[in-house]
Amino acid sequence: MKTKTLLCVAALLAATLRAEEKKSCCDACCAAEKSSAVAVPVSDRSLYQLDAAWTDDAGQRVALASLRGQPVVLAMFFASCEYACPILVHDMQRLRDALPAEARAKTRFVLVSFDTVRDTPAALHAYRERSQLDASWTLLHGDADAVQELAMLLGVKYKQDARGQFSHSNLITVLNAGGEIAHQRNGLQGEIAEAARAVVALAK
Amino acid sequence: MKRLLCFSIACMLALGASGAGAQAGAVARADMVVIPAGEYVPLLRGKDDLARVPVTAFRLDVRPVTNAEFLAFVRENPKWRRSRVSPLFADEGYLGDWAGDLELGAAAPAEAPVVRVSWFAARAYAAWVGKRLPTTAEWERAIAAGYTTADGASEPAYRADLLEWFARPSPSPLPAAGSGRANFFGVRDLSGLVWEWVADFNTALVTGESRADTGLDRNLFCGAGAIGAGDLTNYPAFMRAGFRSSLRASYVVPNLGFRCAQSLPNSP
Repeated sequence: MKTKTLLCVAALLAATLRAEEKKSCCDACCAAEKSSAVAVPVSDRSLYQLDAAWTDDAGQRVALASLRGQPVVLAMFFASCEYACPILVHDMQRLRDALPAEARAKTRFVLVSFDTVRDTPAALHAYRERSQLDASWTLLHGDADAVQELAMLLGVKYKQDARGQFSHSNLITVLNAGGEIAHQRNGLQGEIAEAARAVVALAK
Repeated sequence: MKRLLCFSIACMLALGASGAGAQAGAVARADMVVIPAGEYVPLLRGKDDLARVPVTAFRLDVRPVTNAEFLAFVRENPKWRRSRVSPLFADEGYLGDWAGDLELGAAAPAEAPVVRVSWFAARAYAAWVGKRLPTTAEWERAIAAGYTTADGASEPAYRADLLEWFARPSPSPLPAAGSGRANFFGVRDLSGLVWEWVADFNTALVTGESRADTGLDRNLFCGAGAIGAGDLTNYPAFMRAGFRSSLRASYVVPNLGFRCAQSLPNSP
């Protein structure tokens, strides 16, 4: 009986250790984030409350909160999209070009993929190369829950069809340094000038 | 050795189970029934969507989640209390029928379905009880059954009841969840009591804008090719699709509640 109990305790210990391991992984992620981000408070309207884990196209695990401290221009897309995504990304590039150099240097451009299966970090990296996106761009891959949660918070609708393509809202969101939604451009027709003005105001 | 291993696994399982038991509290949870594998015929679909979407077998709560059940959840999860919930996850008016943070009051009877809950709150509750929200396909698969057969469209009395609900204002306070007539699968109150959240309500791609709700906003949506409607006579399904498309995940609505689903152990 004693041996049995011991074994049982050992099994429990192992489980606890695994939990510890997991915890230390996340501490590491947040330590990196602390070092890079300016101390901007996270309000109860901040997207940086979300604790979902993402992976960038370099294979690094990141939390959305790692974007804290600067204006962010963000859109959801998928790399194999042949319809609106190229226009959406092109619009973000135009927005970027429209910014004064100082504001541009302070702003991050983020693309989050709907396609949790095909848009692996490696696929996103290939997309970065193909689209000539420089270091001011962050490309994120997440699991289905993380993608759904973010889409819900941004008000992005999306749906995968039988061919694996996604129908989705074309929405460019501007976040302030604290991760609150400061501006949204809906659809492909709206002017980008307004979004650019919102970024410039935030970058001051 | 094998026996020892079994024992230790049983020991861990027991611990896990007692944890879940502590969470459950004294509130009785809704029974679940298995909805057998079948098909969902989407009302609206794009040119590349399937006309018939296969739905694997799953378990569904027989009734919507009640105020008493949700109270047990917010008791144990303070961040979902009315006074503490983040405005990101629930709009003003969240649990607005309740008398207080932890008090139901006369407008929110314990056995009535909980309403004025956001999608985020509903999803958090479902995860807390080890379940999830049903998908649109699953939910529609369940309501497609009639009272006595798996095909509600062939039962005039069932179709009439679905329609009748739209003509009747919601009583206040709401009656008890589970008091409606069971359908062929043993599920109650899919219609006639409250609207319900589904996990992927944001896939309803029609715009909520009344001036443009006849189809997709072609600038707003990518891949907005042709759209075809299935059964044009299925008015209640149009109502549900329209309602879902008008929602955002933080919305709280006076007659919008939810029920939970669960995948079967062998399903993907």
